[in-house]
Amino acid sequence: MSSEPRRYELEEGQMSVEGNELERTLGFIEAMTLGGGTMIGAGIFILPGIAAEAAGPASSVSYAIAGFVALLAALSLSELATGMPIAGGSYHYVNRALGGLFGAVVGWGMWTGLMFASAFYMIGFGQYLVEPIPFLDGRVFIVGLGLVGLVLLLGVNYYGTEESSAFQNVTIGVETAIILVFVAVGVFFIDPGNLEPFAPFGPSGVVSTTGIVFISFLGFEIIATVAGEIKNPSRIIPLSMILSVVLVTILYVLVMLVSTGVIPFESLGDSPIPVSDVAVTYLGPAGVVAIVFAAIIAAISSSNSSILAASRVIYAMGRDGVVTDWFNVSHPQFYTPHRAIAATGGVTALLILVGLEVETIIALLAEAASFSFLVAYSLVHISLVVFRRADPDGYDPSFALPRPLYPAVPVLGVVLSLVVVSQMATVVVVIGSGIVAFGVVWYATYTRGRVVSEGLLSEAIRGKPAEPFRVVVPVANPQTQRGLLRLAAASAHANEDRGTPELVAVNVTPVAHPSPFQNVEADRFEHQRELLESAHDIAAEMDVTLRTRTVVAPDVGEAILDVLEEEEADEAILGWDGTLERDGHVFGATVDPVVRNASCDLSLVTLRNETIGTPVALIAPGHNAPVVAHQAVEFATVDGTVPTLLNVQSPRGKSDSDAEARGRSVVVDAAEAAGLDPGEYDVQVVVADDIGRAIVEATSQYDTVCVGLSERTEGSRIPFGTVTERVVHDVPGNVALIRGS
Amino acid sequence: MTRIDELRILVPVDVSETEPPPLDVLDHLGAVEVVLLGYFPVPDQAEPALLRDQYGPEATDRLDAVADEHGNPAEVLVFTHDREATIDRIADEYDCDAVLTAGRSTVVDRVLVPLRGDVNLDRILAVVADLLLAGNETATLFHSVAEDADPTQGELLLMGAVDRLVEYGVERDRVDWQLSKGGDPQTDIVELGAAYDLVVLGETEPPLRERIIGDVLSAIVDALDVPSLIVRDVE
Repeated sequence: MSSEPRRYELEEGQMSVEGNELERTLGFIEAMTLGGGTMIGAGIFILPGIAAEAAGPASSVSYAIAGFVALLAALSLSELATGMPIAGGSYHYVNRALGGLFGAVVGWGMWTGLMFASAFYMIGFGQYLVEPIPFLDGRVFIVGLGLVGLVLLLGVNYYGTEESSAFQNVTIGVETAIILVFVAVGVFFIDPGNLEPFAPFGPSGVVSTTGIVFISFLGFEIIATVAGEIKNPSRIIPLSMILSVVLVTILYVLVMLVSTGVIPFESLGDSPIPVSDVAVTYLGPAGVVAIVFAAIIAAISSSNSSILAASRVIYAMGRDGVVTDWFNVSHPQFYTPHRAIAATGGVTALLILVGLEVETIIALLAEAASFSFLVAYSLVHISLVVFRRADPDGYDPSFALPRPLYPAVPVLGVVLSLVVVSQMATVVVVIGSGIVAFGVVWYATYTRGRVVSEGLLSEAIRGKPAEPFRVVVPVANPQTQRGLLRLAAASAHANEDRGTPELVAVNVTPVAHPSPFQNVEADRFEHQRELLESAHDIAAEMDVTLRTRTVVAPDVGEAILDVLEEEEADEAILGWDGTLERDGHVFGATVDPVVRNASCDLSLVTLRNETIGTPVALIAPGHNAPVVAHQAVEFATVDGTVPTLLNVQSPRGKSDSDAEARGRSVVVDAAEAAGLDPGEYDVQVVVADDIGRAIVEATSQYDTVCVGLSERTEGSRIPFGTVTERVVHDVPGNVALIRGS
Repeated sequence: MTRIDELRILVPVDVSETEPPPLDVLDHLGAVEVVLLGYFPVPDQAEPALLRDQYGPEATDRLDAVADEHGNPAEVLVFTHDREATIDRIADEYDCDAVLTAGRSTVVDRVLVPLRGDVNLDRILAVVADLLLAGNETATLFHSVAEDADPTQGELLLMGAVDRLVEYGVERDRVDWQLSKGGDPQTDIVELGAAYDLVVLGETEPPLRERIIGDVLSAIVDALDVPSLIVRDVE
């Protein structure tokens, strides 16, 4: 048994060593636990007090709004992630779409935002450890414990961890279970009186609280970040992102309703460990232990995810040259990006230390982190629009937002983010704007000049770089080139729905052995120059873009084929002298190889009189028929006529009307296959015993005849029916032989 | 049930280690096709691409060196967060019947084949048959029954398995069997394995990635000094 095919397959695999071996190992459940698990974290344990204080029971609405804003971002990110599964997440998309300036703003914003978030989690961690124990008290302890926790986390991350989804799943499961019990039992202890008045501080209180609690949703983005590792991404990425955000939002809203329903919001607002204070009223000391346990686990895991996410952002920024790659040198022994981790940890520690002086540090950190991410997600929405409009190569998302979600999602996303940001505390807006300004200054002083990333913005504003519909016309003869170019221009214009019309006129100068040092006779060059100059004049008359190409090659046919290939021609129109079967060639030494090998639609035209007039297309069943029909319609636009699609039937002993119906259906089928409307053509059916003669008689009435060439090219022979031969010989008008690609 | 015909095994090698693993066993397996998987474990904190950029050439050299020593088999190099998932995926992709773990054996004369029951039995025997037909080893089939159980059940299993190998074309004098009563199968296999050059074990559902860490199979594989060949359960 031969092992040949297997070998080949193995070598293919070997090739991919150089490329990107992406492990698609994450299924739906894994993606959900990853997204949900990263999200459900410290935010919901720490913030309900602050939220209740600022918005009353309506703080549940703040969570709902924040969840909705997150959902919009998740939708836009889903599309971008399936289009570009590459490390860096939001930063990367913005950098690609909007260029290095916005890339720097978002990169620095996300990095600092993650540091704010990490500090926020660790102070919350300190609060939940300190508050339940009576003799520990005060800010110093909270900050000190936060720092200890942070140092431990940094140590673990410095040495590196192996993926342990089992451990993560257990902690996420425990956290979620405790919250579910809290909600499920708590519902029965809600005192409706506590929920009155529902919104004591009005809508502005609700919106300003949204800015604080938005941090509780950080984490869904991780699904986009690991897009390259997700199986069946077009389905699982959007599904798991949307579902995890929606479920977590519902959970948060319920927690908030229960919390404000069980304890009056005023007293809830005084507590640094609100959820625990609620739980004690109906779950007793055991409930407190469980909540404190869950809160501590949540703080650690959230902070850890932030540190991991920060090192991913720094990696991506280093890769793109936005920051120095020095951060990304991995540890020689542990293989971790230890410098990035140390830098993140150092700044986070400083932020925690600020807590010694500033009483409202928790709310400030939460809001500042939210600010950074709201700005980042606004730019993500804009990036989505830019990607859609610029439609760059390689951006081919397997999940695209359907209408009307696009453009509603990005527009609403930007608007809502701005509304939330506008209601934030002044100091936060100042800090956040400061970070944005830092990103701008960083770009101006460091990045610019190093990074060539231009972004797609200008392309997006100009609109989609239109695909051309390119018709290639080899020209050699000054007498026929006007006619050929007219036909080509008509064809290109008629296909405007498929692309911007573009003509390429090519002239090939044959030489025996082309070399850059060889002198081609001067008058031939002169001839070529004149030819192509007049081609430009003709094109200008016909309002079509024309490019000219000159080629020096030993074989004209081969050279034309090369040009067709290079130009990715959609159609080629070749002139031919109307003679057949001469010197062992069907159409001629130059044309034969082109007819045999060209991979685009091809028209071989012999021009016998000036007017194209009304074309007639000979339609016989076969897959060439639609191409022939369409070509006749294209040529008809030269003189603004309606072409006739002709079919000739033999009576076959039955009535003429039977044959006529038969012929008509052949024509209509072909026209439908060509996508023609019934108004774009006339139908003529001729019933006759001598088909050949009937065709010649019928087509002689027209100025131009389109006939199909069979595409069954076996070997080197170009099949050529007797009918075609008779048309070429006996019809006085222009003849175009059409071959589909 | 058919023979596998062309036995293909996956040999994972950690290319972040400077020392190549002991793989002498590869040179004594006869005409068995080998796919060499070089994996570079990437910690959670780093992007695989980051380490690929920094250690790619080094890892390739190490993998090439291992391949050069053992008859230039096909190579695959992967930077991965999840070693087990990678082994599973590459084994699938390259259609490998078994995964070989490294171990100290300079020759392969005696192969131990512990059988647990009907689980995955067909595939294990097919692989063993191919292994024996490709080289000159002798094999001992091993089964362990509980103290109070009827030993004839185990004998039937073992004798049936021997017959099966003979049907595949293995000479009967190259196969014997051993039944243990009442011992802990895990300890028995590890103790017995010391006297052999290679142990063939059967993977069972759930797949390899979960099996290798933290269960009986991986405990055995870890405790064994000699290389082991883990037969995949692909159906």
